[in-house]
Amino acid sequence: MPQWFVTGLRRGVVTTRYPARREPAADDLPTPPAFRPEWLSQDRALRLAEVCPSSALAVADGELVFDVGKCTACGRCHQAVPEAVTASGEFELATGRRQDLVKRIPILPSSAS
Amino acid sequence: MTTSSRVGSPLAEVLADPANSVGVAAVSIAELSDATARLAEVPGTRLADMFAAGSDPVTLRLVWALDADQRYVLTESPVAGPQYPALSDVTPAAFTEECEIYEQFGIRPAGGKPLNRVAVPPQHDIHLPRLGAAPREPAADVHAPHTVGGQAFEFPFGPVRQVGVESLYYGLVTSGEEVVDVYLLTWHKHRGFEYRAQGQTPQEALFYAERVEGLSAVGNGWAFAAAAEAALEVDPGHTAQTYRGIALELERLYNHAASMAALCQSCGLAVGRAAAEIALERFLRVNARVFGHRYLFGVVAIGGCGHAPDVSALRAMLPAAYDELRRSAELLLRTNSFVDRLEATGIITAEQAARLGLVGPVLRGSGISTDARVDHPSGPYRDHRPAVAVQTTGDALARLRVMLAEATESVRLIGELAADLGPGQGRPAEVPGQAEPGTPHSPGSGLGWAESSRGESLAWLELDGAGRISRARIRPAAVRNWRGFDDACRAQNVFTDIPIIEASFWLTVAGTAR
Repeated sequence: MPQWFVTGLRRGVVTTRYPARREPAADDLPTPPAFRPEWLSQDRALRLAEVCPSSALAVADGELVFDVGKCTACGRCHQAVPEAVTASGEFELATGRRQDLVKRIPILPSSAS
Repeated sequence: MTTSSRVGSPLAEVLADPANSVGVAAVSIAELSDATARLAEVPGTRLADMFAAGSDPVTLRLVWALDADQRYVLTESPVAGPQYPALSDVTPAAFTEECEIYEQFGIRPAGGKPLNRVAVPPQHDIHLPRLGAAPREPAADVHAPHTVGGQAFEFPFGPVRQVGVESLYYGLVTSGEEVVDVYLLTWHKHRGFEYRAQGQTPQEALFYAERVEGLSAVGNGWAFAAAAEAALEVDPGHTAQTYRGIALELERLYNHAASMAALCQSCGLAVGRAAAEIALERFLRVNARVFGHRYLFGVVAIGGCGHAPDVSALRAMLPAAYDELRRSAELLLRTNSFVDRLEATGIITAEQAARLGLVGPVLRGSGISTDARVDHPSGPYRDHRPAVAVQTTGDALARLRVMLAEATESVRLIGELAADLGPGQGRPAEVPGQAEPGTPHSPGSGLGWAESSRGESLAWLELDGAGRISRARIRPAAVRNWRGFDDACRAQNVFTDIPIIEASFWLTVAGTAR
């Protein structure tokens, strides 16, 4: 048992200092998407809504409705429509209200594509 | 890739054709008892799964692993009425599946033996979707009768247990401190994956298949993808299979580290637990850097691989992560107070393990060297054969020793697989999936498998002419091994041994509840 005492002392504290300090390991984590409105045609928006496995994306009232709270950062939207989707790089997603997790991105008018 | 005999061949013909790694035999209901008895007696054979599909008639399938012959044989039997022969009399390994089939399809083994609930809770006002017809009467839910000299005390524990631990209900029957019986109720985590998968394409359903049991995302995802690839007659190719192999061994490493941490916690060794969890965290960071996800989600794709590994990061980070595990393990095995808690705890004999059809480290800790990577080699394991770790005492210590030996072997295998990818730096080319949704093709079916960290994971898919799933069967290793947990707890153990036994099995409730 004494060897565990020594082991623990020698190892010290390895707990992350986040949020006081940036955590570099977070750079490797998948993150929810960010959408490029300049590429967001109606067809692309419908394709994004179709491909999302957790129903985080929907099309309503000329907007792509993105519920970050349902997103699992699986990346399928990016695979399906790479020109309109990038990884946001954001993982600090908490908000005070549930509705603040729902983002609306305007879809291009139908004459544009 | 697997080759299959023509579906519907007679059993004798399938057994006589060793070239096919997967054989499918038509067996009438009248012949099923004899066929089951015959297969159960073949040396080096075990019942790997049993499930049903369809309606009017319901098709009953048994999956037999002929490990000595490196093949799987499925028998298919149409069941026109409400009953079929009582197969668990012949092979006790079938009992849990008989209960599940009754609950989902309403057909039961002849003889009237009481069946247990599996996935559907007893509340009458909940309508849960089923794969087939609901049973006319609910399961009697009678557990093993227990006779105790003196007084027995039965008390419930769970399903809400402590923080960070899955919902699981134990019915504990004790005489003083000694465990007389324990039975498990696992329906609290039932999510109806097999029901939900119907009508989806394999690529759509894969998202859920790898999340059925998140800790075995690669193991279960690979089995599922392999089943789809067999049904679609698609070959993922050497490179994608190599990527999958690396991911599967990384998954094995972090799970075995987590099991060691859980064992330390169950014995009250806080510093040991912290040391094991440092190793665990380092492995998870390797996964995130190399494959873009700490739990390796999204790595497997139908017909390919969703994420190519960063091989130079793998070479740079893995040795130090493994070193953390190795040093902690060496110290643990020199800690008498820890080793004493594991020795002779939760013993599963070789006879019990074989009778119940167990898999994985639990089986290998009891002296049986079955490992799907060796017995049914596919993909990278054809050219990179792992050394199978075996212990003979069947206790918690044996299972830990198996896991530690497997971890060493996984590091070696990863080195070989990475070398296969060449000396290049950074990330090799992606190998995207091949199966497009809605691609017309002939209806097909296929069996897939992988040796997850918990043991053999199986999947069976049936696709319709539009390439959509008409039946998905997923059988993680946990489905096989929880039945061994009851036996292990009953073997001369006390209350406080139960967390140790549970940690040494390192199963998940999610994997069995699905």
